[in-house]
Amino acid sequence: MSVLEIRNLHAGVEGAKILKGVNLTLRSGEIHALMGPNGSGKSTLGYVIAGHPHYQVYDGDILLDGESILDMEADERTKAGIFLAFQYPVAVPGVSVANFLRTAVSNVRGYTDRARENGNNGTIGSNLMPMREFRRELNAKMKEFNVDPSFARRYLNDGFSGGEKKRTEVLQMAMLEPKFAILDESDSGLDIDALRVVADGINKLATPDRGFLLITHYQRILNYVKPDYVSIFYNGRVVQTGGPEVAHMLEERGYGWVEEEFGAEAQPA
Amino acid sequence: MSVIVKEKLMESVTGFNEDTVRAASTSKNEPAWMLDLRLRAWRMFEEMEWPKATDESWRRTRLTGFDLENFQPFATPGVENGRAALNDVMTHELDEMESAASIVFQDGGPLYRDASEDLASKGVIFTDLQTAVREHPELVRKHFMTTVVKPESNKFTALHAALWDTGAFIYIPRNVRVELPLQVILNQATAGAGGYHHTLLVAEEGAEVTVVDDLLGGKDGLQSSVVELVVGDNSVVRYMNLQDFDHSTWNFLTGRAAMGRNSDLRWIQVSWGSRLTKAFLDLEMLDEGGHGELLGIYFPTGRQHIDHETLQVHRAPHCFSDLLFNGALKDKAHSVYMGIIQVLPGAQKTDAFQRNGNLILDSGARADSIPGLEIEADDVRCTHAATAAQVEDEYVFYLMARGLTRAQAERMIVQGFFQAVLDRVPVESVVTKLERVIERKIGG
Repeated sequence: MSVLEIRNLHAGVEGAKILKGVNLTLRSGEIHALMGPNGSGKSTLGYVIAGHPHYQVYDGDILLDGESILDMEADERTKAGIFLAFQYPVAVPGVSVANFLRTAVSNVRGYTDRARENGNNGTIGSNLMPMREFRRELNAKMKEFNVDPSFARRYLNDGFSGGEKKRTEVLQMAMLEPKFAILDESDSGLDIDALRVVADGINKLATPDRGFLLITHYQRILNYVKPDYVSIFYNGRVVQTGGPEVAHMLEERGYGWVEEEFGAEAQPA
Repeated sequence: MSVIVKEKLMESVTGFNEDTVRAASTSKNEPAWMLDLRLRAWRMFEEMEWPKATDESWRRTRLTGFDLENFQPFATPGVENGRAALNDVMTHELDEMESAASIVFQDGGPLYRDASEDLASKGVIFTDLQTAVREHPELVRKHFMTTVVKPESNKFTALHAALWDTGAFIYIPRNVRVELPLQVILNQATAGAGGYHHTLLVAEEGAEVTVVDDLLGGKDGLQSSVVELVVGDNSVVRYMNLQDFDHSTWNFLTGRAAMGRNSDLRWIQVSWGSRLTKAFLDLEMLDEGGHGELLGIYFPTGRQHIDHETLQVHRAPHCFSDLLFNGALKDKAHSVYMGIIQVLPGAQKTDAFQRNGNLILDSGARADSIPGLEIEADDVRCTHAATAAQVEDEYVFYLMARGLTRAQAERMIVQGFFQAVLDRVPVESVVTKLERVIERKIGG
């Protein structure tokens, strides 16, 4: 049982404040949907949790099981169990999915650190998860998450369609086995079939030892992934939290009323 | 005895002049025709002007600080003495590659050779050019700097023709196939000396061969090399020029491939080393159906300056040429890529590509890229593209968000960038070697 706690988080980029006092708690076994209009700062929240160096934290804290992660680099946060699925995963030509994932998995599961402790750096590949074991697991998960086996050899996101990118993000999540997964608009730009595949992947990974933050603009994906909580994000903070009924309300009423109710006069001083 | 004679000759060599050219010829016991060729080239050299900053080819690559008088005109060759004559680096290079035959040169001459196949029985000639001048004069006279690269091409080819020293002569007869690579290694061991490496490859109709030129050493030296590839009708040639000179070498290279009907060439040009490199590389499609690929990688660091100027000439219809040069740059390094696809009248159905990508790793580094097209036929498909990108935080962050350290992420992005060329390097041991150099260059 783990807890990711965001406390009064103020953050932004180059002096501009984007997050203005975010309070949010994620727990293992829970799916928490974060819904809000475009430009409300939802993606920024994902980046700040994952440790994007462009963003500065001005105030507040992010605690993973009571320990602040603010001083950790992005890779250390990933090793600690945080995973961010990107809205727009970048293409990295020349780097195959398998090669990249083997390095990533080896770091996250401690092969690399153990090799260093054992002074085993001399042998090529000694710091990586054994190839056979890795391939076996990768193949099994590619099958389970509907990723064509040919993707192992393809260059990461290079020439992938929108749906292929999002599916590969889910595959990466499955391989890295995070405690908390933040999915940034994993539903955007997908047709209904691709959306089902991605939603199906999330549901398979939604085990009692893992928590999710599902950042989305639309209610659509919530027809396939059932959230325990839904929060409304507006103007850099969480303005309302409730159960799945909140999502239904947003679908019926849109975001207009949010601005009326939590607009300029409602901003914290 | 002969060694003493050579030493005496060297004493008399004090600068770049006609006597030096004569000494270079005498020390190799050359026939008169070669001495004549050298002397004619020397006169051309003397008549030609040095490149000026206003010359299009030299606008971005200046010879500031370059002075012939700073170099010993040529080095004294080592003595062939079996494997004992080789240093660790050369031994390693030999051991890493499974080759049909190898020749190692040091300074001005051959130092070691071995073969795992009986090439002579197939009619293949693979020997040092000095020996070829004596043993195969008709072939060498026909091809050596007569049609593919001429002495008058530029100032450095004239100098090269006057003073050429090391390099292999490779002749593959009709329909003969040599499967394993032929390996040529040059180690310019003497510091501050001039070197003039020549590669002359003649692939007759239907021949198949792979040749690797490995260029090392050259501290504080001058290297002016020439590569001539005669790619016969229906022949298949794979050529790799792996330049890894000391970072103090002034390096000039002029290379050209003359491509016959339905011939197939892949030329891999690697420019790791040197203080400054100016390389002119041409593919010339002389007859129908030729397929030529010119692929280059470079990775200057520190204050290295690497300049490739390429020309894809399509004289005949229905030819394909593909050029890809990818470079990464660190520190205050500077690279120049200039390229032209030239399609002459009548070369219809030409299919030609040219791409240059640059990955800039430090803000002090600079990459100039000047692609160009000159098309005089109306039914052709030609494209060119140049890109310059930085290893952006977005890429690094994406990989770090998957658990890679910053160093691992940067390394993977740079290696990935070179992969498009490495994927097309046909010799596995060369790929491994190039990957190791890339690793080393990323690390510092």
